[in-house]
Amino acid sequence: MRALTTWRWNPVLGEYESGEPQPLRGTGEISAIQAFSDKTMLLLGGTGFVGKVLLATVLDRFPELKHLVVQARRKKNLSGEERFYTETLQSPPLKVIVDRIGGESVLRRKMKVVEGDLDEPLCGISPQDIEELKGKVDIVVNLAGVVDFDPPINESVEPNVYGTQHLIELVQVLNAKLVHVSTSYVTGKKDGRVSEDTPIEGYFPDRDKRPDETFSVTKELKWYQQFVEETRATRGTNPKPVRERLREGGLARADYWGWTNTYTYTKSMGEQLIAQTPGLVYSIVRPAIVESSLRFPFPGWNEGLTTSAPLVMMGGEGVKDWPVRKDGPLEIIPVDLVAEGILIVTAAVLCGMNKRVYHLASADQNPIMLPRLVAFLGMNSRYKHKHKKTGSRLANLWKAYVETEVITVDTLQARRTRLHRGLDVMHAALTLGKTLLGARTVDPYLKSLRDTRRQIRAQEITLDKFLPFMIHNSFIFETRNIREAARMLTDEDLKRLKWDPETIDWADYWVNVHTKGIERWIPPMFATQRKK
Amino acid sequence: MNKAAFYDLDGTLLSGNLVSMHAYYARNDRSPVKSVYQFLKVLLSVPLLFGLDLYSRSLFNVVSFKAYRGMHRDRLIGLADDLFEVTLKPSIFPHAQALVDTTRQLGYRNVLVTGTLDFTIRPIALHFGIDEVICNRLEFKNHIATGRVLPVLLAEHEKARSVREYAAREGIDLSKSCAFSDSSADVPMLSEVGFPVATNPTRRLRRIALQKHWPILELREGSPRFPSFLKPANAAKAF
Repeated sequence: MRALTTWRWNPVLGEYESGEPQPLRGTGEISAIQAFSDKTMLLLGGTGFVGKVLLATVLDRFPELKHLVVQARRKKNLSGEERFYTETLQSPPLKVIVDRIGGESVLRRKMKVVEGDLDEPLCGISPQDIEELKGKVDIVVNLAGVVDFDPPINESVEPNVYGTQHLIELVQVLNAKLVHVSTSYVTGKKDGRVSEDTPIEGYFPDRDKRPDETFSVTKELKWYQQFVEETRATRGTNPKPVRERLREGGLARADYWGWTNTYTYTKSMGEQLIAQTPGLVYSIVRPAIVESSLRFPFPGWNEGLTTSAPLVMMGGEGVKDWPVRKDGPLEIIPVDLVAEGILIVTAAVLCGMNKRVYHLASADQNPIMLPRLVAFLGMNSRYKHKHKKTGSRLANLWKAYVETEVITVDTLQARRTRLHRGLDVMHAALTLGKTLLGARTVDPYLKSLRDTRRQIRAQEITLDKFLPFMIHNSFIFETRNIREAARMLTDEDLKRLKWDPETIDWADYWVNVHTKGIERWIPPMFATQRKK
Repeated sequence: MNKAAFYDLDGTLLSGNLVSMHAYYARNDRSPVKSVYQFLKVLLSVPLLFGLDLYSRSLFNVVSFKAYRGMHRDRLIGLADDLFEVTLKPSIFPHAQALVDTTRQLGYRNVLVTGTLDFTIRPIALHFGIDEVICNRLEFKNHIATGRVLPVLLAEHEKARSVREYAAREGIDLSKSCAFSDSSADVPMLSEVGFPVATNPTRRLRRIALQKHWPILELREGSPRFPSFLKPANAAKAF
């Protein structure tokens, strides 16, 4: 729907402004069009959530690019190339664009798919392919990595640390420049504004508190190997499953240095490997929490469960108590802005005008405060449960008319304990009822109680994963570097690439774009778990 | 040159009224106590609004928008879908969708021109499949509604002016375009286009339509007879 008006919403002031927007003007120190002309880009991780949108953006905006080489992992019987053409290209964001630029045949002329895997040396790219690419690839953009917050430590270290080592080898062999995508949260448990200028090498979040200690990736990898070996060796003597111990070990180690989880800990190590490689021309791009697309290729595209999707779904299910900071923002950024940001950085690297680190985030210019999001979750639940035809009527009424509430962690714990005690009592009563009235009468109730418990447990685990970003810490990532780079583009570039999170109308985005995108594209989590 | 179909909303495509919308927001305030207080306020304002509507539509709009004062914009946007489901969707006239579909099939660009507010219009426009909307906007200060409408308030002559402006900008031939409204307040807008249609007309508009030989269309009941310029053959397909 297009509303015809000369009024523009200013989300920072919270009021409408009149008049046409000023046309964007750049200084022209970086020309993205020229930078991409006749160049070859190698994209790693192009099959993921951000990767697909980045791929769509490059294909749509820069026909000048000579070659695009995309790495894809083999999957069971499908070769990397087959997988790319039958799965990745058929996904909604890419399908629209491929059709627009003239179909698959046009694409095949411009693109090459190479099979590869970050877990292997030189990213698993075959010697023939390496020979073919040598001296031809100008820039490598790496989006690959594992974004699970708390997997067994080996499943995070292998792709995010050793994988980065393989990436560096590959970039050196190809004699190319590197844009590496990491995460803003490598900063760890910190509060307030996070600078882009903090040195990367030897960084650990608790450095200010423990200045005598030093962090080095080499030392850390030694510890890691020893830890994994010891954990596996004690398989027979320790009753706890190895996977669980590796998971806990990763979280504990991350926490020891001050990182929020295994993911941010291993991602930071990856960054440090890049920073300590002499002679490497690189930029590290650090997006905040990546969310549904704002505009491109269409509003609301989303496929990531490591976004706020689980929280939106929990809100939709009627969760009322939200432990968040009253004065803190949620650092989110739409995926299409991330894609455009990465391309701006890539152009800067190609022109030799790059900085080391670029945060891609929104709160620096246009923060969306957490209590506002909690209110949106409540309104969504109101809408859904008012018109719900199934389930208990009383529960639906409660979920529709009781508002969401911002609470503290202590209140959360107290309420959880009370809830579980109540459920225990119900369980005991039902078990007693079973002996008195027989299994036939009581079993359905017991089953439904079990299902409810499982659902509550799943929600609690999900919420706990997000607590570092909602209540334990309050982050604002400074975005000076990307704003500066965007200002350096030419006027012609600015018609193709934009960095404008300061204009996002969060209410419209959250209600009409993001929430609806999640409901449209992501299968329900908690509901399906309940039905199993 | 392109042609467009300009639609008024209230009374033309649906029978929603501002009072029922205010009552909705009152009923859905953040706490039950606030809801009761707000609901009472709406009840007290009904006679005043009723009298004003008879006197002047513009003044009626100005006063009724005052009811939004103090509301957070997030809430207005967040509740819009529910408001549509609860109060507006049930009041859509039985043959409204067929009319909108017919003008689209005949190559008209469908445009809603209405005094209703932007956040309320969104689900309605999506429901009807209307792409373009000219509507009113509330003024906000720090996300809170002031109770005023951003200038220029869209009503009567202002609607005619925005239709002219839209046509000039988008290259629309007004003499080939059509417009639909129920109210005599929209006579200026209806007069701008080559094919005005008095749709579910009020008594006053019916009289004017008869004088000016404008076709009269009834979407509320029975089987409507679309005016001849909407090619009956195509119109029949829409049902």
